[in-house]
Amino acid sequence: MAARRVPLVLLACGSFNPITNQHMRLFELARDHMHSTGQYQVVGGIVSPVSDSYGKQGLVLAKHRVAMAELALQSSNWVTVDEWESQQPDWTETVVTMRYHYRRILKEYERSVGMHNNSNLSPQLKLLCGADFLDTFKIPGLWRDDHVEELVGHFGLVCVSRGELQPERAVHESDLLSYRRHNIFHVREWVKNETSATEVRRALRRGLSVKYLLPDSVIEYIHQHNLYTEDSEMRNKSAVLRPLVKQAQEPVKSLDD
Amino acid sequence: MEGHSITKVVLLACGSFNPITNMHMRMFELARDHLEDTGQYKVVRGIISPVGDAYKKKGLIEACHRLEMTRLATESSDWVMVDSWESLQPEWVETAKVVRHHYEELLASEQNIDDVDTIKYAKKRRIEENHHKDRDDLQLMLLCGADVLESFGIPNMWKQEDIAEIVGRHGLVCITRSNSDPHKFIHQSDLLWKYRKNIHIVREWVTNDISATHVRRSLRRGQSVRYLLADSVIHYIKEHGLYSSESEQKNADVVLAPLQRYTGASSS
Repeated sequence: MAARRVPLVLLACGSFNPITNQHMRLFELARDHMHSTGQYQVVGGIVSPVSDSYGKQGLVLAKHRVAMAELALQSSNWVTVDEWESQQPDWTETVVTMRYHYRRILKEYERSVGMHNNSNLSPQLKLLCGADFLDTFKIPGLWRDDHVEELVGHFGLVCVSRGELQPERAVHESDLLSYRRHNIFHVREWVKNETSATEVRRALRRGLSVKYLLPDSVIEYIHQHNLYTEDSEMRNKSAVLRPLVKQAQEPVKSLDD
Repeated sequence: MEGHSITKVVLLACGSFNPITNMHMRMFELARDHLEDTGQYKVVRGIISPVGDAYKKKGLIEACHRLEMTRLATESSDWVMVDSWESLQPEWVETAKVVRHHYEELLASEQNIDDVDTIKYAKKRRIEENHHKDRDDLQLMLLCGADVLESFGIPNMWKQEDIAEIVGRHGLVCITRSNSDPHKFIHQSDLLWKYRKNIHIVREWVTNDISATHVRRSLRRGQSVRYLLADSVIHYIKEHGLYSSESEQKNADVVLAPLQRYTGASSS
């Protein structure tokens, strides 16, 4: 008897400043990996660009980042862009974004399969990220402990490693992550690919070619709107990252919204 | 104002292109940026020359497919194109001969632009020993990765005079990663060191290791190769069912053509 697979949606949060082929590779690698476990059926992928209020240096307007992601994903039949997070008035915690999408996915799913069908497995939403993401949990003030617990305990992570980073080490060095290691899926990227949005922006500032690192349509958009110059990189230069400010002020709330 | 002329450059990449990946295409972009940054060159064309089937490399699929995939991959480029001459030759052709062929073609076409008399041009093309005068303002350079540069050191892989011709008369543009040291390799070879001025090392700061070997492996295992090569190339591969365990076994017990040719032969 064939085991039934859990329907799975992968959510990637980030700056996408700009989106690159490497971002899209993450989805492909993650899907292949989760399928190969035999337990999951990846039914969708969501790219959720962060809002402008994140305050990261060099972040160009969300409307551009969303437009570029849309262009890049035009040819994909399973990954889409979602602007909800980018349109929120303030920076949104990752966990809050996940809760929003999970509610949406559950509603859609219940509508399509019907409430009465108990034999179907409930869909899951996991956060897709690179190995460097795990290290951010260590940065003081960037994450609330209860959020990290909800993220890895309740939702789960699909973490794609690249280059020299060892995600297993980051898990090992954190009691919280270690406790939830069964819900952290490690995907090895054997093709060493250090293409990063930072490098792409650097090349663009210097008038160098970025062809074949991102889709032609995105490159065209960038040139059309003259994004990514020396000036754009100076945006938010002295600003403090919004999560550090917001979370320093807030008392820890309960898990209920 | 100092008058220094800009040398026009055509980049030629030889290789299996089995299949062509985004990394291959990136090499051209990186090379062009590097050369033009020196202020001495203007890169006017890029040529991809897939090797013929007679090369007998393990896993090498038919040239007709590799040519078509390369053509699809270069469709979105306005300066890089594919050339079938090498792959259509019945025997394996030494790289130096491919360079020579393309350089002669280049000179002939430039000559054509200079000459008003087309009959003279036609006559010139028919002559076997076509020794056009080398031009200072036009160069053909071989574009390659550090692995090709280092293959100069593999016994019986290259004839010394061929290496001399490529780096001496023409030029080499070598794309290298942070972990290899081409300067040391050049330093350790008298021949390469002699022509070091014609060897341009382009540092690839952002490692992009999309090897065709890895791509073939992923395809065999049914894994996604999306965003590693052009969508049109992936589509072609699926359509024709290329790259299976069987295709990877092609030439498994055959000796690579250059090794066959040079082993035991005295250098002439």
